[in-house]
Amino acid sequence: MRRAALALGLVALLAWPWASPRYFVFLASLSLVNAIVAIGLNLLSGYTNQLSFGHAGFLAVGAYTAALVTTRWPDVPVVVTLAAAALVTGLVGLCLGVPCLRLEGLYLAMATLAFGFVVVEAIMNLDWLTRGNDGLRVPAARLGPWALSTDTARYYLVVAVAVVMVWAALNLARTRTGRALLAIRESEIAAQASGVHLARYKALAFVISAVYTGVAGGLFAFVVGFLSPDAFDVFLSVDYVAMIIVGGLGSVPGSIVGAVLLTVLNDSLAGFQNYRPLIFGTLLIVSMLFMPGGVASAFRFLKGERG
Amino acid sequence: MTTAALIHVIVSGLATGSIYALVAISLVIVYNATRTLNFAQGEILMVSTFVGFTAYQRLQLPLVVVLPVAVVAAAALGWAIERLIIRHAISATHFDVLILTLGLSLVLRSAAGLVWTHDEFPFPPLFTNRPVALGPVRVAPVSLGIIGAALALMLALYLLFAHTRLGRAMRAVAQNQRAARLMGISVERVYSASWMLAAVVGAIAGVLIAPVIFLSSKMGLVAINGFIAAVLGGFGSMPGAVVGGMLLGVIENLAPLYLPSGIKYSVPFLVLIAILLVRPGGVVGRPVRRKV
Repeated sequence: MRRAALALGLVALLAWPWASPRYFVFLASLSLVNAIVAIGLNLLSGYTNQLSFGHAGFLAVGAYTAALVTTRWPDVPVVVTLAAAALVTGLVGLCLGVPCLRLEGLYLAMATLAFGFVVVEAIMNLDWLTRGNDGLRVPAARLGPWALSTDTARYYLVVAVAVVMVWAALNLARTRTGRALLAIRESEIAAQASGVHLARYKALAFVISAVYTGVAGGLFAFVVGFLSPDAFDVFLSVDYVAMIIVGGLGSVPGSIVGAVLLTVLNDSLAGFQNYRPLIFGTLLIVSMLFMPGGVASAFRFLKGERG
Repeated sequence: MTTAALIHVIVSGLATGSIYALVAISLVIVYNATRTLNFAQGEILMVSTFVGFTAYQRLQLPLVVVLPVAVVAAAALGWAIERLIIRHAISATHFDVLILTLGLSLVLRSAAGLVWTHDEFPFPPLFTNRPVALGPVRVAPVSLGIIGAALALMLALYLLFAHTRLGRAMRAVAQNQRAARLMGISVERVYSASWMLAAVVGAIAGVLIAPVIFLSSKMGLVAINGFIAAVLGGFGSMPGAVVGGMLLGVIENLAPLYLPSGIKYSVPFLVLIAILLVRPGGVVGRPVRRKV
């Protein structure tokens, strides 16, 4: 049953570009990119209770890394480019995560918020590298002899990466690391008493989260094709927080549902820019008041499990 | 750079700092009552300033009326938010309430944009901008006016907290809610009063700063520097909030003189990250201890 549903979902995912107009292929790519970010943020916030308002900053680091690597060395295969984006963003995550170990709750939220602002300012000021406010055009990704220059090609790239990332996230919960992170969420003191190295695992959660977001950033650069610092403002970070709140904290399928839901909603509200924050804000308040576990817990409730 | 010019920069830094200090105080008032970081504080400030401005412009009321109208609007808004939304989530984790206020800030900003558009409006100045000479030093009366008004408000708050029943009740709730309840204090009433008081302090800060930075739906962003000021002084401490606000205002105004200009907007955030790393308890605060 479960396996059949999974296979069906995968087939639908692969058949999507043939069944829908070009624009929806782009939208699907963007949804999947956001889903990867949401999973990364959820590994940090949902698993270890460290709320981040700076994930747009990580996304920007990943995106600019990928864009700059492709501009300098156009023949580098896309896998290497994404690995570079993951590596750089992971290092940034480590540099932010280790000092942030001292902080929790609202202090951490403020520090990550500040990080997001500083990244955007840095991109604006390093214009010899990033072209600042003029923006940076991203060349097509290459995989061996092929240039991934159509929406469909980019979509398959995103699907392939997303499947690997989702698979890894789902299995993380069953590894030693995943169990340690979940133990930290339930109680830091109890986890520590059971021999979980608190500092190491919290820093690790930061790095894993940054790596996810960095890879998503690389994909974002190729899917969108043009980067400018104002795309990565604090409101994008807030959108990611909204995705995991609506989807459900600590749930990988919830992250995906939340990301797809909000990306599609965001897109359909493109003509009503003034109403967008109103609807997003209301959504946040309503889901926090009436559905604190997000869509994921609503699903569990429907299936008859107690959440 | 001459001493006189330096003093001029420091005075305008203190003026900006007074606004940060007031916003920081309003955040601390809410935090001490409901243990919530109120992300919507800046938007409450913005909306009540807009209401005051509308009363001045549409109803042709005199300029003196802007402040009382804004204060009443702020109190009503603060009461409504606490009573209708925050109270329902009182048993939730602070993480959840943080998200609620975040949602509120988006809603308020967007609603203000729909009502008043996202344009910038010139706000009628309460104090003239033409510098006056005090000996060799030239200062803008608007800076002195802001500093003076802010100090007066701080004094009023001090008297409220030190010498009234309500103020003592608020301090008791900040220290220990259960003990306060056992002493017969209505904790719920303190919640309402705190949110209203915080909104009022914010509204006064809004009316003071609006002539300087223009009135717009984006002016709520001043709250971010208010947060930083509160953290700088040690979150939860009122004197700390004042010190933190003044310090941040002066640093922010002095930094562009010594650092490359591009870095200007990052200064408050770099200050925040630095202070969180070195002294998370704030410059004047004691280190935070956690009980098991």
